[in-house]
Amino acid sequence: MIRKEAMKIVLEEIGNDPIISANGFISRDLFELNEKKTNFYMIGSMGLASSIGLGVAIKNPKKTIYVFDGDGNILMNLGSLTTIGTIKPKNFIHIIFDNHSHESTGGQPTNTRNISISNIGKVTNFYVFEINDINYLKKILKKIKKISGTIMIVIKINNSKIRSGRVTLDPVFIKNRFMESL
Amino acid sequence: MKKLFQHEIVDFFVKNSIENFVGVPDSTLKQFISYALKKKKVIITAREEEAIGIATGMALSGSNSLVFMQNAGFANSLSTITSLVQLYKIPLIFLIGWRGYLKEDAPEHNKIGKIQPDLLKIIQLQTKIISDKNWKEGCQWAINKIESNKSCALVIRREFYD
Repeated sequence: MIRKEAMKIVLEEIGNDPIISANGFISRDLFELNEKKTNFYMIGSMGLASSIGLGVAIKNPKKTIYVFDGDGNILMNLGSLTTIGTIKPKNFIHIIFDNHSHESTGGQPTNTRNISISNIGKVTNFYVFEINDINYLKKILKKIKKISGTIMIVIKINNSKIRSGRVTLDPVFIKNRFMESL
Repeated sequence: MKKLFQHEIVDFFVKNSIENFVGVPDSTLKQFISYALKKKKVIITAREEEAIGIATGMALSGSNSLVFMQNAGFANSLSTITSLVQLYKIPLIFLIGWRGYLKEDAPEHNKIGKIQPDLLKIIQLQTKIISDKNWKEGCQWAINKIESNKSCALVIRREFYD
């Protein structure tokens, strides 16, 4: 399974719930697959999707907030998992597309090759699911709708040569329409 | 800055629509942070960039936030301020404790403390230094900024040794 394929399946389940998507190929894939006002595409500030998602989740307890993150991204802000796990928002779903590499910058390795991000999620109070195939992903996406909690879904993906285009929207436009959608 | 004024700054901001205080503790700001903690308005984060991220999420939800940090943490945050706060025009108030203001402060603060005013200027983050005498005007100025959707910084000098 490649990221774009996995993301497409996730998007089919989550509808118009707000998404904070990490910079790099993650935002680019989201932009190509399902451009809409409830997407907050990050362009820079690598690592902060989970923190922005936490801020949105705290202030919008009736909405389910999704964070689309990568392994390289979350490794830059592991401290955020301890903050999220302390606050434990019940409407926070952290999806990590884990390819064990910094694909956006040329596929250099990340340390999730050796250290399990799922295990880190477990010790920081997340309800964790680790996904290796499409059918299980579909099953879990349905299952989490019945769970109230701080959820982490680590989707193991392969690198791919498929490249999505850059997010061409103005950042202030992305912000304004996201705010209006909340 | 005196303890009483640091407490009054919290009350002033709470009264003027600042709903969240997010950041990394700093001894120059300790009275401010302890008092805000008692009021249950504080989230303490592992790093300053993380605090800016959370405050950004809250600002996206229409809830005004202040991010507090030491100037060492401000240096950590430069990329986040330029590529998130300024790029997306997120209204936030930064409250920064200025270590290295005094020449004989601890050695790790000397260099960054010396260039602190220049760093703020270079990234074009509008700033006021607040003291026991002018804190109210400075805080009102910051409220006006955030209400007109702009980010800004308030700086408190570390004027004592320990």
